[in-house]
Amino acid sequence: MILLPAPTRVLQQILLHRIRYLDRAIELDYQLVEFDDVRYHIQASSSDATSMILSIGLPAPPPEAVLSGGLPFGAIEAVKSVFGPVVQIVDPPEHNFQLTLKLDLSKLPPDEDERAELMIQFACLRAIVLGAPLRDVLKHLAAKVVSPEADRLMPIIHRPRESFFVIPQPDKVTVVIPIRFKDSNDSVLATSFLQEFMEARRAGGLSTAPSCQWSPHPPVELKGAPAHALDANSGFVSFVLLPKHVESEKLDNIVWSLCTFHAYVSYHVKCSKGFMHTRMRRRVETLIQALNRAKPEEEKDGKSTQGRSILRLV
Amino acid sequence: MDATARPAVVIDNGTGYTKMGFAGNVEPCFIVPTVVAVNESFLGQPKGQSKANWAAQHSAGVMADLDFFVGEEALSQSQSSSTYTLSYPIRQGQVENWDTMERFWQQCIFNYLRCDPEDHYFLLTESPLTSPESREYMGEIMFETFNVPGLYIAVQAVLALAAGYTAASQCEMTGVVLDAGDGVTHVVPVADGYVMGSCIKSIPIAGRDLTLFVQQLMRERGENIPSDDSFDIARRVKEAYCYTCADIVKEFGKHDKEPSKYIKQWSGFHTKTGSPYVCEVGYERFLAPEIFFSPEMYSSDFTTPLPDVVDSCIQSAPIDTRRALYKNIVLSGGSTMFKDFQRRLQRDLKKKVDARVQASISRHRLENIQVQAVDVNVVSHPIQRFAVWFGGSVLASTQEYYKACHTKAEYDEYGPSICRTNPVFKGTF
Repeated sequence: MILLPAPTRVLQQILLHRIRYLDRAIELDYQLVEFDDVRYHIQASSSDATSMILSIGLPAPPPEAVLSGGLPFGAIEAVKSVFGPVVQIVDPPEHNFQLTLKLDLSKLPPDEDERAELMIQFACLRAIVLGAPLRDVLKHLAAKVVSPEADRLMPIIHRPRESFFVIPQPDKVTVVIPIRFKDSNDSVLATSFLQEFMEARRAGGLSTAPSCQWSPHPPVELKGAPAHALDANSGFVSFVLLPKHVESEKLDNIVWSLCTFHAYVSYHVKCSKGFMHTRMRRRVETLIQALNRAKPEEEKDGKSTQGRSILRLV
Repeated sequence: MDATARPAVVIDNGTGYTKMGFAGNVEPCFIVPTVVAVNESFLGQPKGQSKANWAAQHSAGVMADLDFFVGEEALSQSQSSSTYTLSYPIRQGQVENWDTMERFWQQCIFNYLRCDPEDHYFLLTESPLTSPESREYMGEIMFETFNVPGLYIAVQAVLALAAGYTAASQCEMTGVVLDAGDGVTHVVPVADGYVMGSCIKSIPIAGRDLTLFVQQLMRERGENIPSDDSFDIARRVKEAYCYTCADIVKEFGKHDKEPSKYIKQWSGFHTKTGSPYVCEVGYERFLAPEIFFSPEMYSSDFTTPLPDVVDSCIQSAPIDTRRALYKNIVLSGGSTMFKDFQRRLQRDLKKKVDARVQASISRHRLENIQVQAVDVNVVSHPIQRFAVWFGGSVLASTQEYYKACHTKAEYDEYGPSICRTNPVFKGTF
């Protein structure tokens, strides 16, 4: 696995299992937590065969974030447009969660493949809700319409008390992601990972990909951002997106990759640590082998003579 | 938000299956086979060519550190292509291959549960005979690679007991746990939550041996089964049709009298050619679980029946705990799920205990004295398959759990030696 897939695996499994036995009422209740502190609560009761309740809790917002009713701008509309009549938004949402959806299983499309696809969309709820503002900006870019937020710094929440910034311009969108790691080792690995990441973009074969920059200091685009947002121990990554990057089918992927960029880096940092440990173990094994080969042959005889000498003493 | 406010991650790595999920839930999120399919084709090359090696990998689109699969995907990948070799990181309940174990955990955390390991406390399990070194190693990987904020390594038997406690609402942490998984079977006496390390008995017969036995019986009878899949089919047959009988001779009679009622059909498709086949499932339905009770028909090395092992385990425990231990014998692990397993074990054990009580009464001429009968009780509950995980989930959702954990700060201060000893063994030292 190189990229993190968009659907939440557990939700996908639960939902696909649920629609396989639509006629039966199944009791289930799961509390789940995903990376970046996104929480899910999915429940269904055995007395009601046609409905399911899915709640999503978002990371704690940073002070600069602009929210409407606890959700990012456009999230409600996005949810409604994706799921249509199948869901009903429960107001107020469950305690400690930001959005609660009631799924009406009787209104699912009759075709099985369509049904399964819709369930996978539910598993992608996080991308729909958290990615709504970014998707909006990128849609404007794809349509080459000047976004209402043009040339303004737009914070988009992606981690607890952290946001990344989007600067929409008429012909391009700049995304600046500050990268922070708690552990100093991780921070070093992430820094070199991001440098390689930038180098890889320059190497041939990727010339059509969005241009990517990494710098240890806040880039000029972040002028006017709040001071706490300019403090990142692993530097800042910026991407410049052009209209060709956000054409219809690429849009979802790009929104997902940008919203979870930190999780992606963190996953690869942990993987490379694991890989280094594998290499270290293999190295130790070869060293031990070398040591074993270097053992003098006489040692065995020495032991036996020693044994004999003890016997003699006795 | 502090990591203690989020649910802990509970991962129970068994020899056969790994159960993982979040504390506070009733069921694990995933139960996957503990297996990793690794691509070794880029590893064996000589050192001098390392540059060319990297170039070859790059052009093949392979990232050596990420080119592997775990769980069901590993099994299907290894069947469909020959570049992947299967590696089982755990053997007989002990971690053998730390490379693949680390990768397996990595996928559990990032691919299956999709959580950030820095955000959650972790609860891992170990078999009761794990060496202190391997416990240290486990802690080292968790703290160094994944930066977990806190870790607790629990003994599987204690968790199984905790699961039985909530299911049956008895308020005792004293009992014998019979944990029969895929790789190894342990009988572990626990008193007030402390494991009696010296009394643990282990039996070299477990789920895998039952599967091998089924496979052998079907092969000897000449059933029409593709040889590549015969182990897998034997496992499925075992899980679907096997049961424990009360009396093996009578059971043979029953089968012979009414074959239509007892002999089952198993049909499937050949994985390579796709052609269908049908085979019959006969005596192995009750013979496979029977090897727990009469092991001599499977192996000549180990011939002590399971009830005798449980009995000798309790007899070796301190005398003041024995009655309590007989009263609460808890089953856990997938290989105890056969129908009537609990009843058979209880009957055989009761017979043995009663005979001993009678013998001692007659030997010491105690006929006139009222002797209190020993209460033998084998507890089974519906969640036996993941009882250990469930116990972990219950334990990790209490506040005491966070106090008992080894924290990252402690690790940074003292190193992996903090994981060396497990407090539940302290009682007997």
